Order: sequence, then C-alpha cells, then structure tokens
Amino acid sequence: MKPTPGKGMPVDGGLTFQTQYSPTGQEALWMHDNIVMWILVATSIFVLALLVWVILRYNHRVNPTPSKTSHNTLLEVVWTGIPILILLVVFVPSMKLLAHQYKKPPANALTIKATGNQWYWTYSYPDNGGFEVISNILPDEEADKRGEPRQLAADNRLVVPVGEKIRIQTIGADVIHSFAVPSLWFKLDAVPGRINEKVLVVNEPGVYYGQCSELCGARHGYMPIVVEALPRPQYNAWVMTHAGAKIDGAPEAPAPAPAAAADAAASAASSAPGA
Amino acid sequence: MANNRRIAVMSAGLAVAMLGLGYASVPLYRLFCQVTGYGGTPMRASEGQAGQVRAVAGRTMSVRFDANVDAGMPWRFQPEANTQTVQIGQRTLAIYAAQNLSDRAITGAASFNVAPAEAARYFTKVQCFCFNQQTLRPHETVRMPVTYYVDPAILNDPDLKGVEQITLSYTFHVVPDAAAKGA
Amino acid sequence: MATIAHDHHAPEGHAHAHEDHDHDHKPAFFQRWFMSTNHKDIGTLYLIFAIMAGVIGGAISGIMRAELAHPGIQYLGYFAELLGTHNPDMNQQLHLWNVLITAHGLIMVFFMVMPAIIGGFGNWFVPIMIGAPDMAFPRMNNISFWLTVAGFCSLLCSAFVPGGTGQGAGIGWTAYAPLSTTGAQGPAVDFAIFSLHLSGAGSIMGAINFITTIFNMRAPGMTLHKMPLFVWSVLVTAFLLLLALPVLAAAITMLLTDRNFHTTFFDPAGGGDPVLFQHLFWFFGHPEVYIMILPGFGIISQIVSTFSRKPVFGYLGMAYAMVAIGVVGFVVWAHHMYTTGLSEDVKMYFTTATMVIAVPTGIKIFSWIATMWGGSLRFTSPMVWAIGFIFLFTVGGVTGVELANGGLDDNLQDTYYVVAHFHYVLSLGAVTSLFAGFYYWFPKMSGRWHSEFLSYVHFAVFFVGVNLLFFPMHFLGMQGQPRRMPDITPAFEHWNQVATLGYKIMAVSMVIWFINIAYAFIAGKKAEGNYWGEGATTLEWTLSSPPPFHQFETVPVIKDEDHH
Repeated sequence: MKPTPGKGMPVDGGLTFQTQYSPTGQEALWMHDNIVMWILVATSIFVLALLVWVILRYNHRVNPTPSKTSHNTLLEVVWTGIPILILLVVFVPSMKLLAHQYKKPPANALTIKATGNQWYWTYSYPDNGGFEVISNILPDEEADKRGEPRQLAADNRLVVPVGEKIRIQTIGADVIHSFAVPSLWFKLDAVPGRINEKVLVVNEPGVYYGQCSELCGARHGYMPIVVEALPRPQYNAWVMTHAGAKIDGAPEAPAPAPAAAADAAASAASSAPGA
Repeated sequence: MANNRRIAVMSAGLAVAMLGLGYASVPLYRLFCQVTGYGGTPMRASEGQAGQVRAVAGRTMSVRFDANVDAGMPWRFQPEANTQTVQIGQRTLAIYAAQNLSDRAITGAASFNVAPAEAARYFTKVQCFCFNQQTLRPHETVRMPVTYYVDPAILNDPDLKGVEQITLSYTFHVVPDAAAKGA
Repeated sequence: MATIAHDHHAPEGHAHAHEDHDHDHKPAFFQRWFMSTNHKDIGTLYLIFAIMAGVIGGAISGIMRAELAHPGIQYLGYFAELLGTHNPDMNQQLHLWNVLITAHGLIMVFFMVMPAIIGGFGNWFVPIMIGAPDMAFPRMNNISFWLTVAGFCSLLCSAFVPGGTGQGAGIGWTAYAPLSTTGAQGPAVDFAIFSLHLSGAGSIMGAINFITTIFNMRAPGMTLHKMPLFVWSVLVTAFLLLLALPVLAAAITMLLTDRNFHTTFFDPAGGGDPVLFQHLFWFFGHPEVYIMILPGFGIISQIVSTFSRKPVFGYLGMAYAMVAIGVVGFVVWAHHMYTTGLSEDVKMYFTTATMVIAVPTGIKIFSWIATMWGGSLRFTSPMVWAIGFIFLFTVGGVTGVELANGGLDDNLQDTYYVVAHFHYVLSLGAVTSLFAGFYYWFPKMSGRWHSEFLSYVHFAVFFVGVNLLFFPMHFLGMQGQPRRMPDITPAFEHWNQVATLGYKIMAVSMVIWFINIAYAFIAGKKAEGNYWGEGATTLEWTLSSPPPFHQFETVPVIKDEDHH
C-alpha cells in the first residue's frame, strides 16, 4: 500500500499532534485539545497578565511607597485550592483515558510480537503459523522511489488487520528499544527478558510511521516502525503469502470466496512490501 | 565543634543508610515482585499447596505461551502449543521444546514474566524448567515441562475482570561457562 | 528578614573597605586557590569551574543543533575525526552523537548547574546569610570542590577511550542497562560512571557541610523561621542530595560490577531486571531536578523581595512549599517510566502523585507575584532576569501537567516535547535564576560593577534566543520527533532550523555576558557594601563588597523583632 501524504506521518512544520487513527488516540487527543491545552495556555497567560499588571501598576515611579503586607491567609488558601480544583478537572478524564488504554483484548484477539534488535525490528505472527517478518530501514533513494518519507520507511512492514483489537507484545533481544507509532498514540518499551503487551486498534486502512523511541546504540535513529493496516481479507491474503502461514489458529485458511481471495492476494502482493 | 561533628555524623549516617537501601533494593524488589506479582512475576506453589486448589467448573482462561532466545544464542526454543484453554484452578501441563543448534554444549537460564502484569499474582507455577539452568549437548533437543494453574482468586479481583488471556513468556540467556552449575 | 542589632562590618563603618582587606591575612596564590578552605574562595572556584564546564556543554549542544538543522549526517564525521577516530565509519559517527548527548546531559547537570547554584552561590552566601564566619567543615569543602573537578576530568577522559561502537560513552545521561552494560564494551562507560562517583561523593560531602552549617552555625537570633529563603532552599536541596545521590551511587556501582565482575543485578540472564535500574535511577533522578531548581527558587525569592522593597509574601508557605516539593519529589519517579510496561494501578498512582506537585509549585509562583503586588518595583538587571524566570518557569511547569498524565505521555515520552519541557524548567528556569543571582551578587563577590546596560541586552538577546530554541521543540515533540537521534525526516526540518537559529542567538547573548564580565574587571566602578540600597536586608549587604576574607569576626546578632 502506498502511504497517503500527511497521514500517519509528521507533516512539514506541523504544530500539534498527528491526526489520530486509533480510538484511544482520538480520546487522548480530544483530552489534550479540549482540556489540558486550555489549562496550559490559560495558566501561562494568567501568570503573564499578573506579571504585566504588577510591572505597570507597582513600578517604583507609580508606587513609591511599598506596602508591608506579607500575609493573607485567605489568598493563600485560594491559590492552593484553585489549582487543586483545576487538577481535578484534568484528573477525571485522565483516569478514564488510562482505563481505556488498559482495556484487555478478548482471548481470540490476533497477537503480534515485535522484537527490538540492534538495529531492526522483527515481527512475529504466532497466530498465523509463526512466520517472522524482518523490518529494516529503506535507503533514502529507495524510500524516495516508493514515495515514502526518508528515515521512516522500512523494507517490510508490520501488517495488521484494520478495526480489530490486536494484542501487540514487545520484547528486546539485546538492549531496550521502544515500539512507537505517534499517529496511533502507541508507545511500548521492548525490554530484554520480559514481555510487555498493549492493545492496538487501527480505525482505517493506511500506513502509519514511527521510530524506535529508546536510545539503543549507534543506529538508534535508523530503525523505523511502519504499521500497514489492511482490511481483513487483504490481511489474510498477505498472511498466506508466507511459507507455513495459516489464519488465526485454523489449521488452514478459512477459504474466502475464491474470487475475493485471488483479488485480495493480488492487491496484497502488489502492496505488501518485499513481496 | 563537637556539635558540628554530631550533625555531620548523623547526616553521613543518613547517606550511608540510603546507599544501603540502594543495594538492598535489589533483593527487596525481587521479593516484592515474587510476593505481589509486580512486574509480571508469576507465583510459585509447592505440590502440596497446588493440591489444595480446586478447579472452578465452567470458568476458563486462555493461556498463551511465548518463547524467546537472546540475540546470538544458537538455540531454537518454542512452545509445542501457542495457546491452551484451561479450567481456572486446574493444574495443567505445557511443553516447550529447545534445541541446541551448535556444535558445543551450551547452558541456558530462562527469565520469565506474565502479561498482562496484573494477572501475574494469580498465575502459579508448580514445576518449571526455568527453576534450574538447562544444559543442552550439541544438537540435542529436549522437551521441557511447565505445570501451572490459574488461581481461582482471579475471579474475585475486579481489576482482572476483562482479562481473557494470560501470556507466559520465557527468554533463554546463555550462562557463561564459568557460571554454569554442573556444566 | 530581620534587623541587625549590631554588626562590626556594617558598610557605614567601612568607608575604606579596601583598607580592611589589607588586614585580612590572605594566603599566597597557590595556597589560596588550590588548598583553599575559605567558603568565598571555594565558591568562586565553583563558579569559574561551572562557567568552563558550561562553555564545553554549550559548545556540544552547538554541534548537536548544527547537525539537527538538516536531514542527513553533516558534521559528525568531522568531529569524530577531530576527537581522534581516523576515517570514522558511519557507526562511529553515529556513536559520536550518542557521546555528545550523554556528555551534554552529564556536564550540564553535574558540572554546570549543580556546581554553580549549590557550590557557587550556596558556598558564597549561605554562611554569610546566616551570620557564620565560614562553612562548618572548611577542609571538607575543599575536598568537595576538587572531587567535582576530578569527576569532570574522568568524564572528559571517557571521550578518548573506546566505548563500544566508537570512542566515548554513548549511553545517555540515564545510562539505562543493558545498553550501559552488555551494550557498551570498552572503558569509556567505566570512566563516565566513575566520574559520577567522584562528583557524587563531592556533592554528598557538600550536602553534609551545608546541613551542619545551617543547623549549627546560625548567628544568635537567626532562627530557622527567620532564615532567608535562599538558605532554606539550600537546606532542602542538601537533604535531597543526601537522600538521592547515594541511591544513584549504589545503582551505578551495580552497573560497574555488572560490566566488570559478572554480577547480574540488571541482567535478565542471571535473574536481574533492567527495569530495576530505571527505578533506582529515577528515584535519584527526579529529586535531582529539584536539586537543580530549588536553589534557583531561593535566589528568585531574595531578588523579588529586594526589588519590591517588601518582605517575601507568605514566607512560611514559601519555605514549606519547598519542603513539600522535596518530599513529593521522592514519590513520583516512575512518571519517567510510563512506557516501560507499568500496570494500570501503578500508572494511575504516579499520574496522580505527579500532578500534585503543581500545587506547591503554584504557591511559589503566586507568592512571588504577591510579593511584587503592592511593592515599589525597581527593574534592575537581576529583577528583570527574575521576572523572566517566573514566566519561563511557568511555561515549563504547565507542560509538566501534560506529561504527568500517563495516558497522554504514551505519545510524548522520549520525544522533543520532553526535551522542550525540561529545558524550559532547567535551561530557561535554573539557568535564568543563575543569571539573576549572578547580576544580583556579582558586584558583591567581585567588588566591581558590571554594566547594567549590557545586562539588559544580555537578557533580551538570551530571552529571544532560548525561546526560539526551545519553543519549537514542543511542536516537534507533538509531531513525534524522538529524542536522541542525529537525523531527522524532512518534515521536522522547518522547526529544527528555527531552533538552530535560536541557538545562535543564545550563543550571542553568552558573548555579551562575557564582555560584561570583562568590562566589570577592566572598567567597572567599585561597588559599595549595600549597592542595592533599601530592600536588600539580608546579612551579605551589611558587609563590604567584596566581603572581607574573614567575615563576622564579631558575631552579628539578629534582633527578635521579626517581620518577614
């Protein structure tokens, strides 16, 4: 699949978060846009306004004799209390957001494991026959040729079905890496010797770029993450292009309508990187 | 001056205590994890303890098995089945297979954890290959058992309500020859 | 704070302050500066050392900004060659990047901000402000300083020995295992760790010295609740150092033995857990950021009060807000670890605890403004820097509320948003407070006036520069640019260029500062004892400028008619 310019990737001179393509990402972005950001801006402007006011009103030319006030219990209670109330306004949605991010996937959710290596990713599909995809960065010229952003493009992608709860598990093979995709609001460290898991849902088909987000040595800047979300039939077809592959625990692929399957296989073959 | 010395000694004592706490945190953290399941550390039960646990009819849990090998370790290591659906409280056996792909004997030790981490305190191992180091002769293949059960108390924990699958993950690491016991 | 009943060295009594110096028995040059036991001389040494370290750390960030301005690798090869790697290959060049970010972080934290704000201003003014003749343990004070220097030398050495992929320690200032253990062969990392041991030992000794001095050597009448807020801030900081640094020492010692003696504290192969290192590191690391900023709070309180000609508003609230920040600072560490796989409850706890810090911080900000409210403000250079501090620190603080949220942090962790946040509180917060303190006390320390005009220019250029430098990093972080990477995808180029431009402007402001210092020593007019006049009420203003080599030969007595 060809990436859509500006979707799932940073945009030139962008000022805020990337557009979100996962339900929890949309919730988090909403919370940032509508609650936290306003509080940040309002607090900064409030402090700035107070500063400007005291500079103008209490400068020594205007106010030659200083007052001697150095206590005001009411005032002190107020400026302790109001921040607490403001924090409560943030607290409620942030706890909700956390609860949603930690919602567990069902038992039969597709599981994909991302292993961080120095300096590439390995994606394994235990539910699809256990094949592995090795994902290396694309050289600049090659990325350019394929119409992908340099430094973000990979030869093989993490292909996932769209609209399903997917159990993403991460682990490190050597040092700590971090699996991150900004447009899906997803970041999870890949720690050697212990598995981490988190649920991922991608709302719509597309290509979503990310980068390793934990310092992991010399080529830390060159192990991109590319998630390609495909509709289920295309995903299944992509899976079946790998040796020994099967669909979700079924011993053999649940035969989709032959025509559809061929169609999907063709489209997957043309879009699947490295195919 | 004597007073100065007293305060200085007390402060230094505080610093030394914090230094001690820094070192003590290693065993304390391990203990904390083992007791509370923090960080996804599964529980361990003796045969006797396990024998007292009763299976809960009609309540099941899916268990996933994950296997990893350190970068550069010439072993193949995988579970015989990716997942099992077990009755909660029922002691169950799972098998992993490991093969030494090299021409020399290699000793491995397995680290392990459970995901989601909250489920660890209900995931109890009775026997596990990970309790000991494993030495594989050149090209040897072994089947390695784990017996475990999911503690029925999991059904009463509201935090664990949505958990339908628990992953048990192992990673084999090379034990340097000098450190390998009996190798 | 309180009125001085009797003081031998009141400026009025010293029309010929310099004559007094002749009666001071100053040691010969080598003895004075290399074996110094005088708190003011050691403070001066700390300040000079911090400036030199700051120039090196700042130059490193210049290389980083140059490299990041455009996609691709432009300058790393040249600098790797310069540091002695012949014909560096790509991995060695990229390794140099990691060495640069590591060195920049360690230098700025351990060898610039801490020595300047605690070693420099703390040493200079804590004894004077409490009416003590010197620190409690003058010789230990000297050892503290030279341990810091030795630590810095060890860190510099690490750049010239192998560190894995290339020369030097490329593990980040956080030194996460296993990148810092199995992930980095060669002695460079050992040198870097040893450097932290040395400077850490120096800081712990310094903390013991400050605690003893403040508890035990206050002049009669100087009760804890009459101490200037700067002294309070150093007291709280000393306790943070005492409690936090030993934990770092333990953690990095375990790194050393994991590296060299086959222990497995953080190695999963032997049953260790790499995440435990992060817990230990951040148990130190979060108090560490308060160690860097609290003395700055103290400096700002002194300045704001002086130039408002008013006592500090809500003195007790201010003092105990710092204590509260210090205490809460020890129970929020895992907000640096939100993506390591913490469970839901743990993340909820750390989110809540972290947001709580906003409350005492808010008390500080509002109390400063309330101190100015109703005052008679004079906009001297330190006051201008202090007002700049209050605003910049607020901007840096509010983004902390965003980052405190575990759910939001999933997308911001390890991005430039974090870099922007901590540079706003440190590079624009702590450093701005350092400059405020510098202009406040420079004539006191040197006896000579800087140019107030150049100080304003310095502020204006610095303010524009650092904001251009760090504000765009918020945008870059939200767009997803990860930290600690030498290369950028073209979409990030725009704001990175702006940031690099900001760096250049900031660098110009540093040149102005140096010119100002040179001007003061060459042509600056002599400073009186209390050159700020009414409003400057703490004890350093009762002494000549510079103060006599030995002050308070007659102990000052602070009258009981307290009105803070």
